[in-house]
Amino acid sequence: MSDILIDDRIRDWVFLPIIIVMFMIQMFRGLLTKYMDNKKTSQKVTSKAQVSEMIDKNITQQSQRLARLHGLLPDHSFKMKRAHLCDNKSGILTKASEKPAKDPMQSMSMMNPAAMADMLKQNLSGIVFMALQYQWVSYFFSGFVIGKVPFPLTQKFRTMLQRGVDVQNLDVRYISSISIYFVLLFGGLQKIQQLMFGDDTDEFVDDTQMQMQMQMMGMPAMPSFGQQNDPGKLFIAERTRLEGVKHTFELNKSQDKAIKSLKRFLIQ
Amino acid sequence: MEEPKVELDDLEVNQERLKQNTNQLKNLRVYGSLNAGMIAGILGMDGWIGMGIYVVIFLIVSACLAIKMNFRVKEYFKSSYDAYYSGIGTDLLLFLMIWVIFHNLVNIL
Repeated sequence: MSDILIDDRIRDWVFLPIIIVMFMIQMFRGLLTKYMDNKKTSQKVTSKAQVSEMIDKNITQQSQRLARLHGLLPDHSFKMKRAHLCDNKSGILTKASEKPAKDPMQSMSMMNPAAMADMLKQNLSGIVFMALQYQWVSYFFSGFVIGKVPFPLTQKFRTMLQRGVDVQNLDVRYISSISIYFVLLFGGLQKIQQLMFGDDTDEFVDDTQMQMQMQMMGMPAMPSFGQQNDPGKLFIAERTRLEGVKHTFELNKSQDKAIKSLKRFLIQ
Repeated sequence: MEEPKVELDDLEVNQERLKQNTNQLKNLRVYGSLNAGMIAGILGMDGWIGMGIYVVIFLIVSACLAIKMNFRVKEYFKSSYDAYYSGIGTDLLLFLMIWVIFHNLVNIL
């Protein structure tokens, strides 16, 4: 089948505008998240349940830090800290692991309303723009072929890529404008935005991308609240991990390390 | 290319510098896949040859990185797998997008 060449005017008035508009909206969204993060004030602790959640989080952080950096402590100091956490009767982790499992519904509703509002705002800015762009593209630019994908595809993709074009035998490689929209969306205008905005917006971009993936999967998931159901199990796991740590004080090895790095330095 | 040194010795991985290195690597890879997409699109490559170009340019970027580091990977990254091969799938979609755009702009439209 011979190649179809497409009119110049489609390129000028459809292809390039879609790309430019989507790119602009992406940059605008980046600026918007930056602005909203500047406006965010620190959240006050309001309810008692939230206080206990913070305590739990701090306990796990403490035990994880101990497990990770145990080499910096001399022997007796490490043993004392470990006993403080893991002792059979009075250790913090044992006491915490005996708490009852939290009801998932309960723990979700007792969250800080400000955090909910924040997540809602982020979700909104993501979904609204996506829906808007989709509507715009499908309203104005439907019904014709806009380009060609360079790789061969099976017939199964025909409905997705050629929406609105009713020519039956047309090669699946010729795509309509909605598929350009999808290619741009998934392909990562975010990455290019990331290049432009520099390194300090890494966290924001990760958030929106993570959100988008979650929206795609359709789950009302909570990204940062990992231990809804059973904090007791988490504490038991932490405790077994701490008790299994083989402790060596790094200072004992320091002479050997010094010799090694001096040798390496002198050789260069 | 600024790549501060990292000394890997059990506890002593300097987190800040490692993070900076990986960010630079990420940026480099994005540039690499942008270029690969442009080359594949402008030259009108089709199908699997285009994918081959992506892999080839990815490996060229890794090779340049190795030369710049004087082959001493351990001082800059956690492992050589990390530095050379790990991110090949993440920028693939970006490459596809740029490939489709440039292929259309140059050859068809």
